[in-house]
Formats: sequence, structure tokens, C-alpha cells
Amino acid sequence: MSATLPASPRMPRPPPAAHRGAERRQRLFAVIQARGATVVLIVAALVAGLIFPAFLKPENIEDLTTAASFLGLVTLGQTFVIIMGGFDLSVGSMIGLGTVLAAYAAPYGVLAAFGAPLAAGALVGLVNGLLIVKARMAPFIVTLAALLALKGLAIVLAGESLIIADPGLFGRSANGALFGVGNLTIILLAAYAVAALVLNRTAYGSAVFATGGNEDAARMLGVAVDRTKLLTYMLSGTMAGLSGALLAAHLSSGISSAGNGYELQSIAAAVIGGVLLTGGVGTLLGALSGVLLLGMIENIINQIGSLSAAFQGLASGVFLLVAVLVQSGLTRQRSS
Amino acid sequence: MFHYRPARHRGVRAALAGGAVMLAFAGVSVSGAQAQSSSAGVGVSSGATCVNPRPGHENLSGMVIGFSQSENEQNPFRAAETESVRSTAKSVGVRRLLYTNANSNQAKQVADIENMISQGAKAIIVAPLNATGLQPALEQAAQAHVPVVTIDRATAGTPCRDFITFMGSDFRKQGERAAQAMVDATNGTANIVEIQGAYGNVVEAQRSEGFAAGLKGHPGLKLLASQSGNWSATDAQHVMEQLLLAHPDINALYTHADVMTLGAIRAITQSGRRPGHDIRIVSIDGTRAIVQMIASDQVQAAIETNPRLGPAAFDALKSWFNGTPVPQTIITNDALYTRANAATSIASGAAY
Repeated sequence: MSATLPASPRMPRPPPAAHRGAERRQRLFAVIQARGATVVLIVAALVAGLIFPAFLKPENIEDLTTAASFLGLVTLGQTFVIIMGGFDLSVGSMIGLGTVLAAYAAPYGVLAAFGAPLAAGALVGLVNGLLIVKARMAPFIVTLAALLALKGLAIVLAGESLIIADPGLFGRSANGALFGVGNLTIILLAAYAVAALVLNRTAYGSAVFATGGNEDAARMLGVAVDRTKLLTYMLSGTMAGLSGALLAAHLSSGISSAGNGYELQSIAAAVIGGVLLTGGVGTLLGALSGVLLLGMIENIINQIGSLSAAFQGLASGVFLLVAVLVQSGLTRQRSS
Repeated sequence: MFHYRPARHRGVRAALAGGAVMLAFAGVSVSGAQAQSSSAGVGVSSGATCVNPRPGHENLSGMVIGFSQSENEQNPFRAAETESVRSTAKSVGVRRLLYTNANSNQAKQVADIENMISQGAKAIIVAPLNATGLQPALEQAAQAHVPVVTIDRATAGTPCRDFITFMGSDFRKQGERAAQAMVDATNGTANIVEIQGAYGNVVEAQRSEGFAAGLKGHPGLKLLASQSGNWSATDAQHVMEQLLLAHPDINALYTHADVMTLGAIRAITQSGRRPGHDIRIVSIDGTRAIVQMIASDQVQAAIETNPRLGPAAFDALKSWFNGTPVPQTIITNDALYTRANAATSIASGAAY
């Protein structure tokens, strides 16, 4: 890992290499890592369109982005956390709890239905962050504990599920459309656009990269590491709350098991998108491409229409493995 | 005004399944002592029906039909259910069966159903993952005039608009029948422990309630403890180990699912007790592994959860397209497996 602050947060800048061939190879790896998932996504979509004529139909693309939006929003937060050098395993349960809180709050209006899960998500993120920063506990343990506790809380509050009998405006916030494009798709893309600006154009974004790149060096350079961590876990919790609120609006329901497994899927999506698990490196475009690739695997398996559920896991696993192989190749290149 | 239905307590949860779900589980009786499972899967139906207002008399053969499964098929019930739908689709001669699996993800099940509609499915069979949460997909199906048949779990919606029928087991009744089987297995005196499904699950709630209701009037049957085994063999094994330590006088076990019974039996054997003798066992599901244990006297009884819903589901669709009435609720004939019929049920392939 480079010990200096990355000059360009978008792509790791290779240190001056003695060997020109090695340098070129290194650049290639860096490009593959940052843009590989996006290229694979586009190529795979075109190939799928040739094989399955229905695949590239606007309705199907919309189905895909709608279904991917919930994972997409938590992956956004997860990407910040991983770049910052952490993990957030609590996001899956936070989605489930978010749907339940939204279902309880829905009778009091749209603001309440969004406010309750968002506030709860921010609070959970704050608690996670404080335990990690102040009590110096490992992110893995802290957020794993939160995963278990939040899931339990969701079940205590709702049992299996709650129905939102008349979702009204709250329901339309997720299921409506603007200029023919579904709201969930718009929200997903807008969130990533804003997040990319925050990550790449603000002091906070630089602090996220610096903390994940080398925490001690960042501290010495005067980066507010603790505050960055707190803010980033809060961002992740809030995004999980938002995902839960929108899912509740989409399903007209609070479902305590909703979001199960998204903690690992969001990490997988980020990694497929080229976000380095060791921190300090990653792009939001890559993470979004990772999310859409996972969504595309599901969608294509549906187009085939006869494969068992196991193939989904198999295909996702292979993608993940390839992504990690490329990453470890890159890491070796950089350290050599 | 908005209305929501919290389900914090067992009773309310049952109301969610029975009432809010708007399906009449009107206490339809199931032929209790029937030994043989009906392979067609059709059972008792309720009075209310749905009739297609614009029957086109389309033939199912040549049609694209969707099947949305909720969980993966590692679970023998899911495997048998999917196989039943697939083989019926083949024998009916549909042009194409679009199969999807939500992998326990509610948002994915909605997307799966919407995918099927955009791929031109003319009818859809759904095994809902939850008691609610399919609204956007059901709405889209209704708008496209695609009839939906729900199987094995009821889900929220308006009958005849969101779906034309629900068919499956009456989980409360299964609990009651398990209690009766326990009475028979213990001559009415036992210290029972119960291993339940995952907390918060409607199936778990109804199997618990039915069992508790069935124990009433049998003062010799004492329920010492009820704990969740999370529908998992490993969890059930741990729970049973703890229960055996906490209550050494246990001599009967009721579990909500065969898979958990298998785990609990491991714990019983490891504690030096003999399953079926020192501890009398009643289970729910009727999978092959447990029915074999009934034949060898390690388990006393199992109430079947009949997974062979394919034929009845396609019959319902046929009736719908022909304009004949479809019962809104069809409760399957669930067999009772005991020593008397276990061996023959294995031989005939009735146990799945």
C-alpha cells in the first residue's frame, strides 16, 4: 500500500517504477480494476440482448434496475465503509428493521415513513461508529452484533410482516415514475451521482480515501480519522434505512426478514466493482456496476426460466472470484 | 387514512394470517385419520369462489406459464413442490414453464413475477415467501389479466382480483392434529418440549397455537418448554441439548418441521436416550427420512405438509380460463403418518 495520500482518489497512482514493462502492466491492472466491472457489465448486457431478445427491452431494464435499487443503495454506503478500511455487516438487518419502522410510521405520513427508518439507520451507524472508534472494537464484531440485534428487534416489533393497508403517496414514492422512468431507478442513479461528487470532490471524500489507504499516515497528516469513521458508518446506516424505507413503500409491507444477506451481497458487489477490501481504493461507478452485474445474473437466470436457484449463487460466486483474482494480482503488482 | 396491522403477539399474528390476509381459513376440516396421501393434492375447498368474468376458453397447452418459487430446493418440501409443478406442466403440455426462485428475498420475488409478465406468461403460480409484500407484482398481474394461483402460503391481497385461489395446508390444524397424535403416542401422559420454527413466522405461530389448543382437555400432557429451532437441524440440535439438560424429565418432543426433528434426534441419541422410546416424537412435514424413522419406531407420528400442489394449481387455472368457478381456498389433504402406514407410504412414494 502506498503510504502517501493518493493524489487522485479515482484511481490508484502507481509509484514510479524502475521497469517500464512492469509499470505498463501495473497501469493496465489499475484500469481493469477501476473500470473492469463497467466494461463487463456493458459487454454482458449486449451479449444477453443478442441471446434473449426481451433482455434489452426498456421494461426489462427497468425491472432490473428497480430490483437492484435496494441492494444498490446499501452498497453505496458499504463502498464508503470499505474504502475507509472497514466493514458494515449490520446493513442487511437494518433494511429489515427499516421496512418495519416505515410500516409503523406510514399512517403518520410520508415524512414519518421515511424519517423513522432514516433516523434509526443514522443512529445505528453512530453506535457502530462509536464502538469502533472509542471502544476500539473490530468493525467485524461490532457490526455483526448489530446484525443480530437489529434482526431480533425487527421480529419483536413486527413478527414476520406488517401490511401497509393504504400506502398512498408513500407507495408512489417508490412505485411512481417521472418522465417514464421509475422513481427507484432515478433515486438509485441520483444517489450514486451525488455520492461520487462527495467521494471525489470534498475534503470528507479525501479523508475517506486517506483513512483507508493508511490510517496512521492519515492521522499524522492531520486527517480527522475518528470523525471520518463516525460519519461513514452513519452514512452506511442511513443508506440502509433509506433502502428499507423504499422497500417498504415498494412492497406496501414491513418484512422483518427483508434485506437478509444484503450485508454480504453489498460487499460482494463492491468487490466485483473493484473496491479493494484492504481499503483506500475504489470507485462508485465500479460499485454500481457490481450491483447491476449481480442483478443481471438474476435477471438472465429468469430469462432462461428453468435454472434452479443454485445457479444464481454459482454465477455470482464465479464473478466474485474473478474480481478478487484481478485484485490480488493488482496488489502483488503494487507491492513488488 | 392508513391502516396497518401490527402482529406483535401470537394471536394478532394469527389474525394477520387469517383475517388481514383476507383468506378464509374458515376452519375447514381435514380428514384427520386418513392414512394415504392424496397424490393429486386436492382437498377440501371453502364455499367462496372466483369466476373469470371474460372466459376465453384458452387451452393451457401452448401457453407460457410462470412458477415463482420462494426458497431454494435444499428443503425437501420445496424440492417436491417444484417437481410437482414442473411435472404437471409437462403433462398438461404447456408451451413453456418459466421457473424462478426468489431465494428467500421478497424484493426478488416481486421482480421475478414482474419478469414473467413481461416475458409473456399468461398465468402464474406463486409460492409466496411472506404473508404480505407481493402487492406490486399482484397488481401488475391483475392489470395484465394474468391469473395468479397462490400455493402453500397465503399472502395479502383481494381474492379474485389479486389471485384466483389459495391452496395449501391449514397450519393451525396441523398443530391440533400433532397434539392429537401426541395424545395417542403417550396415552395422554407426558412431559413435552416443543421446538418451533423461526420466531415471527406465520407458519410457526399457527403450528404453536394449534398444538397448544389441541393439548387443552389433556391435563396429563404438560408442555414444559417451547423454543425456536429456526427451521434448522443444527439449531434444533443445540436447543434440544439444552432442553435435555434443563428438563431431564422430558419424555416427549413436538417439532414444527422434520428437518428440526432430525437435529433434535441427534441430541437425544447423544444424551444416551433412545428416540421413540425414552422420548416419544411427533413431527410435521412427512418427509421420507422421518417416515422411515416412523417405520423403525424411532418417531411416533408425522403430520404431512402436502407439497404436491401442481395438479390442483393447473386444475384451478383450467377452470378459470373455462369460466367455471374456482374455490378461493383449497385446503390440502395432509396425511397422518404412523407406524400403521409408514412402511407402505415409503414403498408407494407418498412420503417425499
